[in-house]
Amino acid sequence: MSGNDINRRKFLKVMGWGGAGAALAGCDMPTTVTLEEGKETVVSYLMPEEYVIPGQGVYFASTCQQCPAGCGVHGRVREGRVLKLEGNAVSPINEGGLCQMGQAGVQTHYNPDRLTKPLLRKGGSLSEVTWEEALAALDEKIGANSSVEGGKVAWMTGTVSGHQSVLLEGLLESLGGAKHYVYDLINNHVAAQVNEAMYGTTRPTYHLTKAKAVLSFGADLVGVSQSPVHFAAEYAKFREAPRGVLIQVEPNMSLTGGNADLWVPAKPGTEGALAMGIAHELINNHGKDASALPSGLNGKIKAYDLAKVETLTGVPTDKVKSIAKILAEKAPSLILTGASIESSENGYAATAAAAMLNVLLGNVGETITSSGGFPFPQLDAKTGSGADLLQFADAAGKGAIDVVFFHGVNPVFTAPGYLDLEAGLGKIPFKVSLSLFADETTNQADLVLPLASALEDWGTHVPAYQPEQSVIAMQQPLMEKLYPATKGFGDILLDMLKLRKVEGYTDFSDYYAFLQDAFAALPAEFKNGVDNASFWNQTLASGFISIPKQNASITANALDIAVTLPGENINYGLSLLPAIRLGMWDGRHANIPWLQEAPDQITKAVWGSWAEIHPKTASRLGLATGDFIKVESVKGDVEVPVYVYRGVFPDSVAVSVGQGHQAYGRYAEGRGVNPLTILDSATDGKTGEPALYGTRVKVSKVAVNKDEILVQFGGSESQVGRKLAATITAEVFNRTEGA
Amino acid sequence: MSLQNVLTNWSQYRKTHEDGGFYDYEHMWGMSVDLNKCTGCNACSVACYAENNLAVVGKEKFDKGQGMHWMRVERYWDEPDLAAGESTEFSEHGGSFLPMMCQQCNAATCEPVCPVAATYHTPDGLNAQVYNRCIGSRYCSNNCPYRLRYFNFYSYYESSWPEPLNMQLNPDLSVRDKGVMEKCTFCVQRIRVAKDTASRENQALVDGDITPACVQTCPTKALVFGDLINTESKLSKLWASHEVELGKTEQHKKNKEKRGYRVFEELNTDPCVMYLERVKEV
Repeated sequence: MSGNDINRRKFLKVMGWGGAGAALAGCDMPTTVTLEEGKETVVSYLMPEEYVIPGQGVYFASTCQQCPAGCGVHGRVREGRVLKLEGNAVSPINEGGLCQMGQAGVQTHYNPDRLTKPLLRKGGSLSEVTWEEALAALDEKIGANSSVEGGKVAWMTGTVSGHQSVLLEGLLESLGGAKHYVYDLINNHVAAQVNEAMYGTTRPTYHLTKAKAVLSFGADLVGVSQSPVHFAAEYAKFREAPRGVLIQVEPNMSLTGGNADLWVPAKPGTEGALAMGIAHELINNHGKDASALPSGLNGKIKAYDLAKVETLTGVPTDKVKSIAKILAEKAPSLILTGASIESSENGYAATAAAAMLNVLLGNVGETITSSGGFPFPQLDAKTGSGADLLQFADAAGKGAIDVVFFHGVNPVFTAPGYLDLEAGLGKIPFKVSLSLFADETTNQADLVLPLASALEDWGTHVPAYQPEQSVIAMQQPLMEKLYPATKGFGDILLDMLKLRKVEGYTDFSDYYAFLQDAFAALPAEFKNGVDNASFWNQTLASGFISIPKQNASITANALDIAVTLPGENINYGLSLLPAIRLGMWDGRHANIPWLQEAPDQITKAVWGSWAEIHPKTASRLGLATGDFIKVESVKGDVEVPVYVYRGVFPDSVAVSVGQGHQAYGRYAEGRGVNPLTILDSATDGKTGEPALYGTRVKVSKVAVNKDEILVQFGGSESQVGRKLAATITAEVFNRTEGA
Repeated sequence: MSLQNVLTNWSQYRKTHEDGGFYDYEHMWGMSVDLNKCTGCNACSVACYAENNLAVVGKEKFDKGQGMHWMRVERYWDEPDLAAGESTEFSEHGGSFLPMMCQQCNAATCEPVCPVAATYHTPDGLNAQVYNRCIGSRYCSNNCPYRLRYFNFYSYYESSWPEPLNMQLNPDLSVRDKGVMEKCTFCVQRIRVAKDTASRENQALVDGDITPACVQTCPTKALVFGDLINTESKLSKLWASHEVELGKTEQHKKNKEKRGYRVFEELNTDPCVMYLERVKEV
């Protein structure tokens, strides 16, 4: 029996359900499991014949891979082609909605610049090889009989979860000491660490719908967030009568800021001081109980009287007062943080100061609750951090890496320029890129393994941010592969596990077979009381497995940390702000023509880069919309057209992120500039995260570059008195539409 | 629909506002756009590109105003109703986002000027565009106060859909060629499928059977689509609750604070799209 027990544990681990602990205790599931690993002949599921009705579209459920949020999609398939993606109405993540990036998933799939064959570097250049040759090259480097040193093997991926993560961990384990760097330019690593310290969990659940007011320090909920569509749906409910109030504090306007009732720009890097000032006002003039906070912190708050806060942050005293008043009157509220506060030199302390307001206002347990945990730690999302990138760059530069694998990241493009990652990669003898496209990183690789697209591949995904209901999201192919010589991520991982001869994985014919067995091995309590075959079919039909959340209480301790402020730099008088928006995201969507032609929500610019500047600063520098400027930091410069508007803090310049690709296909290449190349080396002291908002620059007017002019949708910034987008006050709205 | 038919029944294709005859239509498709929920995220616009084979024209042509976005999100920085111009130091209320698609006017200004009846009113209350009848005079576009008609100045098939992007094209509608005017159809191909399916199954169309691509994808459910003739439809109820009626150039509301309005209704276009005012805490 004990032998069986060990086998079972091992079996569950191979299948990804390991470590479930309490969730599995006492369940006598194994008797129902028959393990026929990979023995069946797998006929492609694709289009059982009865579904092919000429002229009629059939919808299949899958999971969007355009960002890590894990939205459920329905792909419309007709005559064997996927034509359109729509939100899955029953998915608890996106409730039927889909953002523009998700809609454009078909253009990633049908992109004319896809990689179609494996490539191997021979004598300096990449040339096409067969998969046999590609795998032979891999076998030589990392195979069971190779002399590979596990400690000198590295993987760098974006956010990874589900059974792909299980296979990857199995591979890393077999390599003994191989390091997995998880990197995403867009991440919430700083907030996650503050959450861990405050709540004991990195990912509490936020309830916008229960909040009467939201104060967001740069959290771009409906735009670049952990779950844009989910938070947009929550936002809509939050705005129903009685209507919640949204206050957004950030140095340059995000999409969420563009929808705020009160948009407040604070001097970049001083948001923590503003949070302390708001706390000061809440305690002194609104009777909020300071004893909820550590006494040391109370002492620190006392120093932030509003006159001082105005001097430090540039936010007028009356604005701070009205923010505090709204928060005091509209309980419960919710304080959220995003990139502009987190990704600064004092990011951790500033984020902790903002999060402290939730404790002071009594929001914890009301609008912030426990995530309830996820019972399968092996499958849980491994989310990226910038600190991993810095560590990777360091290891690469030291020559400590012999073999590296890239998947779902393009660090040569997204890494700050000063890291000189290209040179670092030059010191790694064997680089493997698993990619759909010849992006900047892939072009550096010695072996390129062309991936099947998200619409051609199998997978399971565990969204990092799980709303009320946890899910394991199911990704299934919506059509045959466009290019027979591409391979799914899971299949490539299985190939590598076979090269390593890792026990438990070698018998699977492919990833599909693995997933089927993995599903069969899922504890029965998650299967709605149906047999394995029905459960598999049900999951494919619905697009996800529901995982009940456990009710867990949450308690919070505000952190007693001093807020520090960025230093001044007379030579570089302006702050550089990266403008990251829903659409281009971190630059991964620059090769999608629909998204290039979709105007940026705020500036309405298309097909290129721009710099946002406040009218005051523009007039000081003699700039108007359409002029070109050189934005120069100690690390380099970029030249970019200007957009002048009142949605950016004076004495700063916000440059759009996502363009400036030197590779990545016809739509992306040679277009615009990449401000990440001129980032300074500032990091947050506590977490080691690169400070994306911590670069100082100077700006000078330069000649117009005819190839890079600012092209915007629409001619008028003003309604010229016409009733186009009319506005009424919330008071009237609540009176006429309140319950 | 032969030319003979067009000529014989010319008046049928020329319903004007004054006819007051729109209630003999089978349906009258309409929409509602809640600006309190709309975040201006642009999902609707890209969904429209995906559904309706909209060409990507590229930077140079986009700069000339030749973009084909049937559904577009306009953004303004001033707030005339709050008497807030562009003089304050910051845009403290964010932007004003306005999704604009063909307003499917009942008294459409684009229709009477078409010399070949390529744009006419369907018995569904839709302002239709017959591509293969269009000769490209562009009178309709010139006459549309909303600027919601888009002209194919070029043939975009080669440039917009290099292989295999063309595999994504929706076979339910054509790719328009050079010299043809096009515009939002309320996803008429989806309306067609739903009507055909209902009639084949001997069922009546039910509210919710048809969802245009923009409405389907909207993350905040700011868009509602439906039949204004069916008084039980969600859309009709929404119009009624906001006291907006068809056939008016000015709404005489009992409760003047209700949010519904139609853009440029004073021009007597009788649009079938109702907007609900944006809301701000002031």
